Amino acid sequence: MLTMAQQIETWPQTIAQFECLVEATQDDLVNFAFHQLGNRDDAEDAVQDVYVQAYRDRTKRQHITEVRPYLFRMVRNRCTDLRRFRQRRVAEPITDRVASREDTFATVASREQSLELRRLLDGIPAREAEIIRLRAFSELSFAEIAVVVDKSVPTVKSRFRYGLDKLRHALSAEGGTR
Amino acid sequence: MNCQQATHRMTGLFDKEPTPEMDLVREHLANCPACRALFEEQQHAFEQVRQSSRVAASAQFGAKTMNAIANAAALETTSTGNFWHLQGWRRWTVAACATALFVFLLPLLPLHLGGSRSTPAFSVLAQSIQAMSDVQTIHMTGRMRTLPGDNFELIGTDYGFVPLEIWRQYNPSRWRVEKTGRAVVMDGQSAVLYISKLNAYMKASPQAGFVEWLRPLLNPESILQSELASAKQTPSEVTVTEADGTITLTVQRKAKGSFTNSWAMNKSIDESDHTCIYKFDSATKRLQSLQVAIHAGGQDVTVLELNDIRYNQPLPVNIFALQLPTGAEQMPAVEEMPPAAASLPGPKEAAQYFFDALAREDMDQVRDVLPANPLVMELVKKQYGGLSVVSIGEPFQSGLYPGYYVPYQVRLRDGSEKSYKLAVRNDNPQKRWTVDGGF
Repeated sequence: MLTMAQQIETWPQTIAQFECLVEATQDDLVNFAFHQLGNRDDAEDAVQDVYVQAYRDRTKRQHITEVRPYLFRMVRNRCTDLRRFRQRRVAEPITDRVASREDTFATVASREQSLELRRLLDGIPAREAEIIRLRAFSELSFAEIAVVVDKSVPTVKSRFRYGLDKLRHALSAEGGTR
Repeated sequence: MNCQQATHRMTGLFDKEPTPEMDLVREHLANCPACRALFEEQQHAFEQVRQSSRVAASAQFGAKTMNAIANAAALETTSTGNFWHLQGWRRWTVAACATALFVFLLPLLPLHLGGSRSTPAFSVLAQSIQAMSDVQTIHMTGRMRTLPGDNFELIGTDYGFVPLEIWRQYNPSRWRVEKTGRAVVMDGQSAVLYISKLNAYMKASPQAGFVEWLRPLLNPESILQSELASAKQTPSEVTVTEADGTITLTVQRKAKGSFTNSWAMNKSIDESDHTCIYKFDSATKRLQSLQVAIHAGGQDVTVLELNDIRYNQPLPVNIFALQLPTGAEQMPAVEEMPPAAASLPGPKEAAQYFFDALAREDMDQVRDVLPANPLVMELVKKQYGGLSVVSIGEPFQSGLYPGYYVPYQVRLRDGSEKSYKLAVRNDNPQKRWTVDGGF
């Protein structure tokens, strides 16, 4: 059975349609942004910016049929911008950022796990780690991920395979595989 | 498939929906322990990533985001000056102007403030309008005493309740009003009225009077303003009270129109002595409910109730796209009617012409005075064809109807007799007399 998010086939044009879109995609997009930025507040800010931009540009984007991957692509670009902005402003690595008071215990625990995963994923090329994250966290197919990162499907699959092999070796080295 | 090919292609097993080609890979894995071990290791690594953490949006995120989108919508401006198309700050600006206008009107109004805590009417008005400025959608559900399929104006104390539903969206401005047998949809460009019994529709400008008395309800933010402003023109009593978290606006109003002949009395809300009770939430200042009772025959009879009003909820995607059934035919406007064979001098002559045509089953002649599609013509012919006229009385005016009522008594083909009032009007650019109803 298709989920509500998967049924979004045209770019929403009304407030009501955007409400449905937000309801259907917010968790996946925030989760994706969280793993890019390492902080839920920043992730939510980034995703909210994307939704508002998606609304403002609704007319010129009404021809887009791959709404969900395109939203991920917008979030990806927004996160890239934010990371660049951070690099200019502060030298501290995002993994050392202190949890904000808004973060729940579950989020902090989640971040701890995420940091461990991030450490392992940081050990492989970013473009390969990105594909693994997208496939793992977004429920997008390789074809849809190709839209997100603006590459061909074979390239996406190759990056996934190379990245997964490296991650497998890293887990083996830490005794993490069985 | 060899091991090199299988190793290369097993990535496809990680896709969301593996292709049929993957069956070959699975077959190889089933027979090759080395490749199977490699795949299982990959799978394990991938599952570790997948299960490592999953962050959901916070509980407030959706509301905050919709608020941000609503703000973005409010900053957008439209090119049209029509209030119905105003969005965001322009709508608010108009509403604010309405408030200012009302402050000037206030001293002239016969206000009676009472209850446990009196609330200045202008304050309620201003706050209500402000509260409505961030509303993007409204969905009202209720019922009214009317006839299914008949116009939205018609009420009757002895009619049963018919469900009524109203959907309103502000950006873009669209609405839909529906009761059993009749729906009107304004999609931003035009208003379309559909009557299911006739499988017929009419298309007109968004300002067309298809929803009559209900139209102010499409703009709840201006109900107070319009109610109080109209109170200035019609003898009425307005009371605003606040108690138990509810602001209650009660408007008692006398029937509008001329009732030298009382035929139209109590046939619509405006043509009745009636009381409207609007209830607003004290905290949000938004309209919560509306009840309308008419005073007829020494008693109050509730004729309209809207008890479920919801704001900013997603509306059904296609609610503003009227799906006309196959075979639906457009009702011709008076302007589109073919030239009449005869020029009729007045309402009585128009009634005589109409009944004479029905007596002879001359539907071309009927068409001269009755704007209707073929299906309606067929129904009229079936029910009234071959009738004989017993009497046609003198035309009279009543209530707010811009035309005339013509009393008649006819004998139908089956021998039964019918007495009623034919509604005839000529308030069209051609001043052409047409039959409007009453048969």
